Amino acid sequence: QDRSISGKVTDRQTSEGLPGVTVLLKGTTNGVSTNSDGSFNLNNVPAAGGTLVFSSVGYVSVERPIGTDNKLDVGLATDSKQLSEVVVTALGIERDTRSLGYATQQIKADQISQKSEPNVLSALQGKVAGVNIVTSSGLPGASSNINIRGITSLGGNNQPLFVVDGIPISNDLDRTSSTLFGAQQSNRAADIDPENIESINILKGPAAAALYGSRASSGAVIITTKSGRNANKKLEVTVTSGFSLQRVYGLMDLQNDYGQGTGGINQLTNGDPNTGGTNSWGPRFGTTPTLANGLLYRAADGSIQEQDYRAYPNNIKDFYRQGQILQNGVNIAGGNADQNLSLSVNNTSQKGVTENSKLNRTSIQLGGNTTLLNKLRAGGSVNFIQTNQLGPQQGNGGSPFGRLNVVPRSYNLQGLPYIDPNTGRNIPFAGGENPLWSLLRNSSTSNLTRFINIANLSYEVTPWLNVAYRAGLDTYTDRRKQIYDISSTRAAAGQVIDQTLFRSEINGDLLVTLKKDNVFAEGLNANLLLGQNINQRRRQEVFAQGDNLTLPNFYNLANATTFSNGTSEVNSTRRLLGYYGQLSLSYNNYLFLELTGRADQSSTLPKENNTFFYPSATASFVFTDAFKISNDFFSYGKIRGNISQVGRDADPYLLNTTYGVATQGNNVASVSFPFIINNANYAGFDIGNRLGSQALTPEFTNSYEVGTNLGFFNNKLTFDLTYFKTVSESQILDVSTAPSSGFLTRTTNVGRVDNSGYEALVNITPVSANDFRWDVSVNFTRIRNKVLEISEGVTQSQIAGATFTGTSPSFVVNQPYGVIRGQKKPRVTDRNSPYYDQYIINPATGLFAPELTNQLISNPNPDWQAGINNTVSYKGLTASFLVDAVYGGDVISFTAGTFKGNGSLEETGKNREAPRVIPGVIANADGTYRPNDIQVDAQSYWGSFGLQSDLNVYDATVYRLREVTLGYTLPKGLLERTPFGQATISLSGRNLFYYAPNAPFDPEVNTQGAGNIRGLELQGSPNARNYGINLRFTL
Amino acid sequence: FSNGNEINRISSLLVQHVAGTANQASGQDVYNIRGGLDNQWQFEQYAGVLENTNTLITVANTATSPAYSGIAKLLKAYNFAMVTDLWGDIPYSEALQGLAKLQPRFDRQEDIYKGSADVQSLDALVKEGLAEIDQQSTLVPSAVDDPVYRGDLAKWKRMGNTLRLKLANTISRKEPALAKAIIDEVIRGNNFIASNTDDFQVPFGGTVGNRNPIYDFNGVNVTGSVAGQRELDLTLSQRLLDSMRTKNDPRLPIYFNTVPASTAGSTTTPLGVFYGYQNGNNIAAPTAKANRSKYNVYFTGNAGEAPIRLLTNFQRLFIMAESALILGTSTGGSTVQGLYQDAIRASMSKAGISNEAIETYFANNPSVVNLSPATDDATKQKNLNKIITQKWIAWVGNGYEAYNDYRRTGYPRLALVLNAQGDDPTKIPKRFVYPASESSGNAANAPNPVPGTIEPVWWDVD
Repeated sequence: QDRSISGKVTDRQTSEGLPGVTVLLKGTTNGVSTNSDGSFNLNNVPAAGGTLVFSSVGYVSVERPIGTDNKLDVGLATDSKQLSEVVVTALGIERDTRSLGYATQQIKADQISQKSEPNVLSALQGKVAGVNIVTSSGLPGASSNINIRGITSLGGNNQPLFVVDGIPISNDLDRTSSTLFGAQQSNRAADIDPENIESINILKGPAAAALYGSRASSGAVIITTKSGRNANKKLEVTVTSGFSLQRVYGLMDLQNDYGQGTGGINQLTNGDPNTGGTNSWGPRFGTTPTLANGLLYRAADGSIQEQDYRAYPNNIKDFYRQGQILQNGVNIAGGNADQNLSLSVNNTSQKGVTENSKLNRTSIQLGGNTTLLNKLRAGGSVNFIQTNQLGPQQGNGGSPFGRLNVVPRSYNLQGLPYIDPNTGRNIPFAGGENPLWSLLRNSSTSNLTRFINIANLSYEVTPWLNVAYRAGLDTYTDRRKQIYDISSTRAAAGQVIDQTLFRSEINGDLLVTLKKDNVFAEGLNANLLLGQNINQRRRQEVFAQGDNLTLPNFYNLANATTFSNGTSEVNSTRRLLGYYGQLSLSYNNYLFLELTGRADQSSTLPKENNTFFYPSATASFVFTDAFKISNDFFSYGKIRGNISQVGRDADPYLLNTTYGVATQGNNVASVSFPFIINNANYAGFDIGNRLGSQALTPEFTNSYEVGTNLGFFNNKLTFDLTYFKTVSESQILDVSTAPSSGFLTRTTNVGRVDNSGYEALVNITPVSANDFRWDVSVNFTRIRNKVLEISEGVTQSQIAGATFTGTSPSFVVNQPYGVIRGQKKPRVTDRNSPYYDQYIINPATGLFAPELTNQLISNPNPDWQAGINNTVSYKGLTASFLVDAVYGGDVISFTAGTFKGNGSLEETGKNREAPRVIPGVIANADGTYRPNDIQVDAQSYWGSFGLQSDLNVYDATVYRLREVTLGYTLPKGLLERTPFGQATISLSGRNLFYYAPNAPFDPEVNTQGAGNIRGLELQGSPNARNYGINLRFTL
Repeated sequence: FSNGNEINRISSLLVQHVAGTANQASGQDVYNIRGGLDNQWQFEQYAGVLENTNTLITVANTATSPAYSGIAKLLKAYNFAMVTDLWGDIPYSEALQGLAKLQPRFDRQEDIYKGSADVQSLDALVKEGLAEIDQQSTLVPSAVDDPVYRGDLAKWKRMGNTLRLKLANTISRKEPALAKAIIDEVIRGNNFIASNTDDFQVPFGGTVGNRNPIYDFNGVNVTGSVAGQRELDLTLSQRLLDSMRTKNDPRLPIYFNTVPASTAGSTTTPLGVFYGYQNGNNIAAPTAKANRSKYNVYFTGNAGEAPIRLLTNFQRLFIMAESALILGTSTGGSTVQGLYQDAIRASMSKAGISNEAIETYFANNPSVVNLSPATDDATKQKNLNKIITQKWIAWVGNGYEAYNDYRRTGYPRLALVLNAQGDDPTKIPKRFVYPASESSGNAANAPNPVPGTIEPVWWDVD
């Protein structure tokens, strides 16, 4: 006699009913799915015995013996480490991970939501194997650089392709100011609010992203936003709110024993500290004031006065204020897989860690899907984003940070006036800007309005043939204003630059899917996808620059009197037409083979070379299923491999040598046309410094990847291991030419860069009792990058971008990408000398001999990096903490160099009066050396370290407590009488602790922002530590 | 622009017109000049002026407008002369051809000046340019596009002939016969810069982006003026101050500003109080710019509008005086002494000195303005010393010319700076070092090892 069993499946954490859970009588095909409220009713169950299996994507499967019961309720626990789950792959195609022949890693909403971090890229830090993410600073909206599996293109963009709901979007910086100074522009993926993201899937290798074509050769980040399709018919309202505080950290320790002055003497005019220079080599605090040491001075009326001379230990620290981030969002979603609708409104309002800095971002997304006719489905979304950013300029010299670092230890930064009340001008400190004045008067704003719109239409012609079209538009206008007020160092007469940047990308994909099961043989299923892609990217940038301002503190172009400098316009359009196909075969759901091919035609290449084809092949084999060796110890085993090729086109307008508005000079003196003399206007254009090429061909990256996924102890311990190698050849690159050819660079196909590496992701669930669960997720990445070839006769070249003369981020043959060439203190090079490798000292001064230029001084690439994430949950309580480590790599710190030279660094205050001898040797006339015995004073000693020298290169190894979250989900019972369906409260902290064994500061900074130049700290803002409280509830 | 920018800064330090008191200038002052002119080679010369004059020649040829290509050739010759004078052997005959010649040959300086089977000499290039200016031209320059001579082609020809004098003068110790022939030919032609109003000088404007590079860098101590980017880097050299103040040279307060009498370390003269800085000194200069003698309005303009003076009437007169004295070239109807005195007068009146003041100077300094009539070699050298020393004073603001004269003749006698460093702390540098971009980008041709700063160029005979 059969019986029927009914019951309800709930989420163990929220006690909500779970729809769509498969309930299967073990060993049979008898099963049902749960209803929208989680209830089920299974018929035809034998009267006694048997076991029910409950399974659902995202949850740990549960088996329950049923004995003779007729009713059974089950709670399922969420599973963060599914081995077999559905992920979104290239072109938005959802796939079961077991069939994939390449590595991907999925990040769920709860890993990035409510983490007190408004930039989604920063929120991913330390969580993904094979991915390197570095934030540039703690300023609001500061960019984050992301590289997947190393750098493959010498000259091109190495950021992965960002795809939102199936259409590519821009993650550009749209940099309009020099990389040496200027504002911290945001990377545009930061426009996507983390609270609006349902999941992120990272496609790591070219194989994974082959269908996206050339733009995904550095991998792809596939973002799926929240929609109503997982809602549960009823309309659900989710409200999130977070409040965080921000503090900078990683400031260097400074001495507080000596103040302003030089050579132990404080030299001021009329006791005014603004006249006294930037050094802290003055007398020790507490020294008896005399006229000789400058602590007494003769005032204008002839009387002798004593100076106010004491330490202001916090004068630099107090430059920064407490920032705060307020994040609020509402998501309204309803419907089911066929008909759904969602509306998300999110706002992030951030007050920055410095005065006059903030970020305000609002996004509104409305989306929905519907089945119009039986076989016709339509969907789409409109996403409006407004991002407003205000921040200071950065860089060496006349920026608030460059000026802050030269404030002497006895300078009362917070107490002294810095704005001339009569003129509104800067009250100059040591001949330059007061940093507080620069903060207020030299700022940069960006007001960005963006739309990301998507429309989908699909028609199921027959059950085996589906035709779909997906169109997307990502367009934005960024209005920027950069100001230097009158009396600023960089533009003494004042300057206002208004910039309007317009970008628009249209993308269309036609997808035809054919599928057939049991072709040729039983169990062999085939799926063929054919597609066509059109893509057009347009940009227009209009710059209006006004110089020679009339009134201070009035930043309107009408306030300027000269408009001839920098006023310009840039336009570009590029188009790409692609055809692609993908054949997927699976055999009995354990052996998978996939072949793809794509042909692109690009408008940026010469006509005869502009069409190119590239293929890929991937395979995956779940041997535990094939050989039926699954047991409690060894539960799951898969091996996979792929080989692929991806082509990449050029940037627009590289084919010709171009002319531009003539300019000459550098940062200390320059002229630009039109040239105005006595009101006569002389226009002038000159030939560019880059030679174009009509012979460019696409560049290709070949990649090989093997990997395995293994599960043990019923998948409580899993491994995901990958080895990869990529070879990128015939790169489109501007290589240096001999200046005597009349040009400095030429665009050509040259060079080869190899990357190889290991990635590992290990998930462990040491404890999983009924209510208690502990998950550990470990990721590890080791990438070796090497530039093998540049072009004939060229062994080194500078990475594109403005850099300090003498400190050049470069690629050098047989070195990793991005090494920095700069000045090195000379050492004994004779290996036979007993003094081999010791510093050579100038016998006249006792200081280092003159630097050697153009030496390799720094390598910004880490040896390895790793992250360990622990999550412990007990009933509704969840605690997680993420520790990550970056081992190796270097950073050059101009801040450290400045602090040494001006005697502010803590070390420079130790033993200051004692003479010192630089360990090194002096050359004898006969070519031998003798040890250096020349005593020098502390100021000369530290001054000789220089700013741009190898002595300011630090090991960037850093271990960090990246993220801590403590969350509590209120039990359902408690909420029964309230309108809330679910409520969670959590505390989160970011960057709570770091340990950098070999650097006196947090080395995870990069003033250059996102891009190919890394490992330079040219005096910018330090990073920020955030801690906050977050609330989420549903109605 | 290039002449007035970094080239002027470093060469003016080397000839001790000014002293370096901060930043890079301090290092360059003590002969750490490696890398100091890399950007001039790369950006301002080869990929700048030189490639653009080349482009102009090409465009002028297609537009059958030899007036433009003629001027372009004069400019090209002037700039190539500057490059070879500073660096020695340089890419010349094969340079500036882009993809057609990515690694141009280095030509010997001797061939660049004298010409050879496959190298056109600079003099021949100038002559070719002069000939083209005379040809029928579809388009001609005018006040709208020629800020220097406002389309006056006659003045361009004077400039070209004076340039020939300068080029010949530069090689006159190495190749006296050739120099004499060229100089005599130019004097016979009698179509050189003959008055201060014909001087070849590049005008500048007074607003951002149009300013004279000396002003942009150094600023000027004029109330209301905009601070220079590096206004504390350069200060009057004590060496020049001493030379000028002992003779009560009225140009001193025109060249450099005076400072308040209370300034520590300043020197009081009848012309006012000046702050001079010993080249290479390592004591700190006064922090306030008002307490330093910096380039005055004559070189900077009140707002950066002063011209950069490249080829001048006084230069022509000094060259004729020197050549007549040493080579025996024509004095053009004057005497060596007459030419020499005219040169001083031209320099002074160019600086705005009144005729009375000039005469006072002449009256008070007979030993300076009069040459000895004796013709023995020792006296000739003494006379040459006087001529070049006066030329050195006249060339303040154009260190490149003074540096050429110093290397060529050894005058004025300059002492080593204090605390000298550089390649050899016992020698004043004699050339600049090729930038790494050239020596690595043109490895097939660039001299290896790269000559250091103390190796003389070809025309520098001692």
